[in-house]
Amino acid sequence: MFLLARGPLCSNIALRMVVDLKSDPEEVPEEKKVELEAAASNEEVPELDGPSDDELVLKSQQGDVQAFDMLVERYHGKIYGLTYNMTSNREDAEDLTQEIFIKAFEALPRFKGKSSFYTWLYRIGVNKTINYRKKRNRKRALSLDSFDQDIKLDEAYSDLTTKGSPLRSISLSELQIKLNEALQALSEKHRTVVVMHDMQGIPHDEIAKIVGASVGTVRSRLFYARRQMQNELSEFMK
Amino acid sequence: MMNEKAPVETPAEEAADVLLQKLLHLKQYERPEDSRMTRNKQNIMRSVRQAQSEKRKPLLDMLAVNIPWFFAEPKYGIAALFVVFIGLQYVGINSRNSSTSTGIYTSPGSVAAYDQQTTTVISNRYPNLPSNYPLFADPQGDQSVIPAGFELQR
Repeated sequence: MFLLARGPLCSNIALRMVVDLKSDPEEVPEEKKVELEAAASNEEVPELDGPSDDELVLKSQQGDVQAFDMLVERYHGKIYGLTYNMTSNREDAEDLTQEIFIKAFEALPRFKGKSSFYTWLYRIGVNKTINYRKKRNRKRALSLDSFDQDIKLDEAYSDLTTKGSPLRSISLSELQIKLNEALQALSEKHRTVVVMHDMQGIPHDEIAKIVGASVGTVRSRLFYARRQMQNELSEFMK
Repeated sequence: MMNEKAPVETPAEEAADVLLQKLLHLKQYERPEDSRMTRNKQNIMRSVRQAQSEKRKPLLDMLAVNIPWFFAEPKYGIAALFVVFIGLQYVGINSRNSSTSTGIYTSPGSVAAYDQQTTTVISNRYPNLPSNYPLFADPQGDQSVIPAGFELQR
């Protein structure tokens, strides 16, 4: 599953994002952009065991529920990751994940394959999550999944907790709360791009298709979202 | 002249960006419990089965699944509909001509049949009778009146 098998993948994405940050969000050179997004798309193509998405979608459209189960298995982790990071509330994320898959199943006869199933599913996910939060009209309390102990083996964690780092003095749970609060302080649009790009490693052009905006808009949102998060987390940014 | 150079990030901003990326990277170690995820997937699968059993497929959806080429390329679908329309027109015209056609392509037998049909007068009006035509016979002994042409079958 994506969430459980993402150690090296995460490191690659983080490295790519660090490289990406060295250039202005609106002014990435074309060659570099192509290179980066090719790398991103290589990382992002999930290694498919068994039938392709297209085959499973076709079977599901013909009423084969087991084929849809395989799609659920394949994308559950990613959709949960999206909803969890968008809401910072695991109960809401579980409800939303369930609603998103049911909505996708109901809408499947109308899926014409103009985009990939993955993009289509994400589009449903983003819309559902934003509407869900609008309906609630207030911020829910944080309800967070606990950190995996593997975090202590991560290079980025070691860097951040070395002597002299502001993170040295706070506990992991405090850091987790601060991070999630900073994320929740963003607007829905900004949070969406940060979650998809910086956490899930989805390339700009794919995000643009999902949110129905231009690549330039996605880059711009990402730029401002990062600036806002830096302000929110200013105590660690010294 | 305006300076059109793209804004360049200062080293401090770059460092802040890198730090933020590292922090966001750590967030990916927040992982849900396996049991919760398994339960959530099971709930999804159960709900999907329930939705499947309750769902009545609309005709259009069924057509789209069973003859996808028809909807995948609308021009072929429209062309197919046009061909069907022309075919039905042809069949309809033929069947009409074969029974009561009077055009230049009509066979002599059809013309004769048509002429015969037009000469037959069909009318629901009463026939014109002379004014002194007796409709009823004289009353009988029991004063009953019967039509003039009526004859009791014995």
